[in-house]
Amino acid sequence: MNIEAFFSDVQNELGAQAVDRGQDTCLRYGETTLPAFDRRPAGVLYPASADEVKAIVRAANRHEVPLWPISTGNNIGLGSRAPVREQQVVVDLGRRMNRILEVNQELGYAVVEPGVTFQALQDELARLGDKLMLSPTSGPPLGGVLGNALDKGGGYGPYFDHFGMLCGMEIVLGNGELIRTGDGSLEADTRINWHVSKYSFGPVLDGLFAQSNFGIVTRVAVWLMPRPPVIQTFHFSFAQDSDFAAIVDLIRPLKMSNFVPTLFRLCNDIYAIGSEVPSPDYAASGGKRAINTEARRALQARHGLGAWQLSGAFYGPSPQAVAPMIERVKAHFGQILGARYIAHDDALNMPPLRAGIDAMSGRTTQAELGLLQWRPGGGNSWFLPGTPMQGKTAAELDTLARGIYEKHGMDFMVMHVASARFARGLHVMVWNRNDADENRRADECYIELAREFAGRGVSVGRAPTDYQDLHMELLSPEFRQACEGIKKALDPKGIIAPGKYGIGA
Amino acid sequence: MQTHFTLKQLQDPRIAEADGIIQTCQHFGFCTATCPTYTLLGDENDAPRGRIDLTRAMLEQGGAPDAKTVGHIDRCLSCLACMTTCAVRVDYMHLVDRARVHIEKHFRRPLPDRLLRALLARVLPYPERFRAALLGARLARPFARLLPGRLSNLLAMGAAKPASAEHDIVTGIHLSQGPRRHRVALLAGCAQRVLAPQVNAATVRLLTRHGCDVVVARDTACCGALTLHMGREEEAQEAARRNVDAWMRQVEAGGLDAIIVNASGCGTAVKDYGHLLRYDPAYAARAARVAALALDISEFMMRVDPMPPAVPRRIAVAYHDACSLRNTQRVTTQPRHLLASAGFVVRDVPEAQFCCGSAGTYNLLQPDIAGQLGQRKAAHVESTQASVLAVGNVGCMVQIGRHTGLPVVHTVELLDWATGGPLPGALEGRALPELPPEQPAAAAAFW
Repeated sequence: MNIEAFFSDVQNELGAQAVDRGQDTCLRYGETTLPAFDRRPAGVLYPASADEVKAIVRAANRHEVPLWPISTGNNIGLGSRAPVREQQVVVDLGRRMNRILEVNQELGYAVVEPGVTFQALQDELARLGDKLMLSPTSGPPLGGVLGNALDKGGGYGPYFDHFGMLCGMEIVLGNGELIRTGDGSLEADTRINWHVSKYSFGPVLDGLFAQSNFGIVTRVAVWLMPRPPVIQTFHFSFAQDSDFAAIVDLIRPLKMSNFVPTLFRLCNDIYAIGSEVPSPDYAASGGKRAINTEARRALQARHGLGAWQLSGAFYGPSPQAVAPMIERVKAHFGQILGARYIAHDDALNMPPLRAGIDAMSGRTTQAELGLLQWRPGGGNSWFLPGTPMQGKTAAELDTLARGIYEKHGMDFMVMHVASARFARGLHVMVWNRNDADENRRADECYIELAREFAGRGVSVGRAPTDYQDLHMELLSPEFRQACEGIKKALDPKGIIAPGKYGIGA
Repeated sequence: MQTHFTLKQLQDPRIAEADGIIQTCQHFGFCTATCPTYTLLGDENDAPRGRIDLTRAMLEQGGAPDAKTVGHIDRCLSCLACMTTCAVRVDYMHLVDRARVHIEKHFRRPLPDRLLRALLARVLPYPERFRAALLGARLARPFARLLPGRLSNLLAMGAAKPASAEHDIVTGIHLSQGPRRHRVALLAGCAQRVLAPQVNAATVRLLTRHGCDVVVARDTACCGALTLHMGREEEAQEAARRNVDAWMRQVEAGGLDAIIVNASGCGTAVKDYGHLLRYDPAYAARAARVAALALDISEFMMRVDPMPPAVPRRIAVAYHDACSLRNTQRVTTQPRHLLASAGFVVRDVPEAQFCCGSAGTYNLLQPDIAGQLGQRKAAHVESTQASVLAVGNVGCMVQIGRHTGLPVVHTVELLDWATGGPLPGALEGRALPELPPEQPAAAAAFW
């Protein structure tokens, strides 16, 4: 590795504005919220085009310098902007490759570069008349559309499957070659099906670039849904932790039939309320134990919520058209003793329910960021397994996770995002990273969760960078070897994010 | 963020407050992505997270800060977009003000800087002086290019024609046009009275038309924001005390339902009087009471059941969120609702989280960055293809107006026009096409 020659080459080809090796820059790009120490990069690069990305990758191949590409770097709790290994060179695609290249309102898609944020796309769609709506996450509005999709992030509406809604990519492979997937690879002046058909001739290579390190995706198209005239959310609170299995079983038919077009957000009390207030119990517990039942009950009462809160939405031409469907849902969940219906207009005035309303309305939201202040000290990671939509199984996994959190003195904070057959469980961990004991317990908690879930046949949908090796090790040797083989084929010198997702370490 | 203040330092309540604020920062970095100067300059220390770190080091060390630190803090707009995205709600607003006060007290700026800042502090808050200065600047404009950097920029302000004193708002009580339902005070302001006196006139007409007696207290002063943001805390406090005295006399005399502010930068300052004067035992409680009465004009109008438009005009109006309304006061829906209720078709401006570069005296002290931001904002405004831009803050009106050919008006001017007032001056002679009636949603698409 010749890092000086690498930076010199890049600066000569891209100009000084594309290179930053400042100490302050490297220090801050190396910060994470995870239990392990921060990992400083050797420098940060800011390419402005796919050609410049190609130049960087080719220089990295020449000098055998490992790169760490990021889109907007808002992956807080999963690694932020920091590389998985010290001294990798961050390629920040967010600063200068942030153009919306096309919005096709007729066919419903947008073509974006890696730096396009949910907010920027939302603004552009609004400017064009608000005819299309994006599928935002409930995370930071300035998170990246492309990065979130490639990391298998999700939304809450009918277009919730963000990776599934990508169609047509442009990628700079680890070997420095630029390819386009689907009809994008035709040698033609126009490629009219590139962003509308995923199944053109040949293998579907797109999937190789989700949670991998085989190349740097420099543009994608994302499909967008027409904005409905009326969006009415509906909400329920349920009194008991033990209501969970019944709720899951009642959600399943509504999604199997697609009667409800959105996913369901099923938040426990701490997840919903934690976005609004810090833990009232932390001062007393000193972070040594999980929040107690009395404090939870008091929080629920203060915010007019229960042990679980459920949110979904209907889309339609008018409130009158939607009203009967909401009535059916009310009756459906009313089967659970103690279920309390919360109407859309009432929920608008309940801050813990705001993030769901915004996200299901295709609007970005700041409402959930407050979760990170539940405990002081800035520690945050996300454990993201899932469960089949069967109440008994889901409840067993829920009980397992709750017990592990409690054992390590962490506060159990979870939202299950439920579709027809599967629910992803967003298990949030917030702790005081400045407290060595608490930091150690957070780390041990995550590892135990990962191992115990894997032992029951459950891996994760996404993972913090600190634990990607662990999750990969839990998969079969044959699968790992296959990943390594692809890595060698597309990135023979292993320069794209070696170690990311446990590949090419 | 961990701090290392000494116990002696922490005995100063101002340092203790700063310490508490700094400790809340957890370096998540949500703020960087939304910070205009970080976006433009790409320097970690030109983002809130970096500035908090620099402020910590500066206050811990005490004494004169280095020029690099001062430069990074000077480049902060105080737009406070960072506070809207901060997960742990760091009170950056008060921290950066504390940093500025420290710099003002301990850092000796180069002479031209000192002169410029002194000039701004002694002229802008005083309408008569400002009016005279603008007239002088107009006369001197031909010589602008002979002057260095920011001084020539200052003269460029001479492009703004100052209103003559006869257009200034009349102090005293403006009586309700019908039965009185409310008694309110209006902050007459300072720079706005010279640059855009029509805003106060439209506000008075709008309020009196809606059953308000409007008190414009003779002895009110500048709100103090201009001097506070230059680190001149004591001058800002003195201005605040004058205003508190003036309004409390009105509270005690006839009662006030609200203190109306129509320049949102001032609104943020007045709403924060309780904090500004918290260590002044003679004023703390009264200042807090005044702050609690302060409302942006759009907040107040939402409470008074605004009358329907005399003649609905479906004109496309782009609405620009002034940072002080959007990020600090969190007033975003009210102006849009009022404009839509008045018949206008409201269009959002993309990248609303971005400051236009006005930021009090920022466009005079940091003209290069302000110019870039102004151009960027104007391009977004024009991309909406609206006929008019509505704004709730005079600083933004002037700043965006310098970069766009679109007519720029205050929100109240449109509300006044819609409910029987005159056509806003900026719209005279302009083409104002009306949009066709909105199609029923169900017919517009599949839905």
